[in-house]
Amino acid sequence: MKRLLPSLRAKKRYLAFELISEEPVSRSDIVKEVISSASSLLGDVTTSDCDIKVLGFENGKGIIQCSHTKVKETRASLATVTRINGKRATIHVLGSSGTVKRATEKFLQGESWS
Amino acid sequence: MGKPKFYDFCVHAAPDGDNTAPELASFARHLGYSGIALANHSDKLPDKKPVLPSIEGFEVFQGIELVEENPSKLNSLIGKFRNSMDVLIVHGGSEAVNRAALENPRVDILNHPAFDRSSGLNQVLAKAAAENGVAIGITLRPLLHFRGFRRIRLLSDLKANLELARKYEVSLVLCSDAVSCFDLRSPMETIALAEVCGLEEDEALNAISTVPERILQKNRLGPGYIREGIEVLEGEDLF
Repeated sequence: MKRLLPSLRAKKRYLAFELISEEPVSRSDIVKEVISSASSLLGDVTTSDCDIKVLGFENGKGIIQCSHTKVKETRASLATVTRINGKRATIHVLGSSGTVKRATEKFLQGESWS
Repeated sequence: MGKPKFYDFCVHAAPDGDNTAPELASFARHLGYSGIALANHSDKLPDKKPVLPSIEGFEVFQGIELVEENPSKLNSLIGKFRNSMDVLIVHGGSEAVNRAALENPRVDILNHPAFDRSSGLNQVLAKAAAENGVAIGITLRPLLHFRGFRRIRLLSDLKANLELARKYEVSLVLCSDAVSCFDLRSPMETIALAEVCGLEEDEALNAISTVPERILQKNRLGPGYIREGIEVLEGEDLF
């Protein structure tokens, strides 16, 4: 099957984030918590428009994909994550970009904060 | 116009909160703030005056959040702390306290004014706030932590206050009201959340950068300050 032209694909934004938490957590825990906060803050209808997906997560850093028109809503719902698995946690968005490659290069590679 | 500076004017350090002042300051710096104000509740002050942590390229201001039910005692507390503090916040929560705070031009910010079934402000109080230059604080912590019914109440109070603030041109301040490092959010997320909660983009930006800067300017007087309206200016290209 031929791939869709880039101009026809749905546009995305990729938010690079770091997780600051009391205890290490897995990707699936983050997904569960992010979706539940988003649906609590924005409602199921807007959350479905946001198209939030956690793409990768390792060493406390990762990338979240969202629709390019809903970056604000996605950031707000990431801010409302206060606990993951019952332990205190904060998601800090490092920046957003239009491609996974650029988001990784710009925000995830390089010196880390301790 | 350069990059705006972001300030968080209501951060509670130990013994009021879980984390110490240096921890909060370095974490806030990591998140992208230019400065924070340590504003412990006045009923949980440390025994001796805390030493403000000094971090390069980051400012820590001395603030206080006054908790007092009695309006006349509140006024005397304001007089007592005003000169030693960069930021003076009043913890609202009843008609009398809100009124006393908003009618006193020496107060900088009124936090959580809501009580019982009222959003805490009305036309008269909003007008007084605008005249006296008291800002209304929008605190993030309850918005982040509560869900469902309680957050709905908070949001409807916030919207009622927002409408009054727009009508009477009362300034707003976005602050985290953090009691631990985990309550701090980066400026961009704070703005995004404020926008989702009903503020306009420029209102949110002002509430986290220009309004705090103005409060600081008001309280940190220049070296040549003598009294209100009189200041010795030095420099060559003044005229």
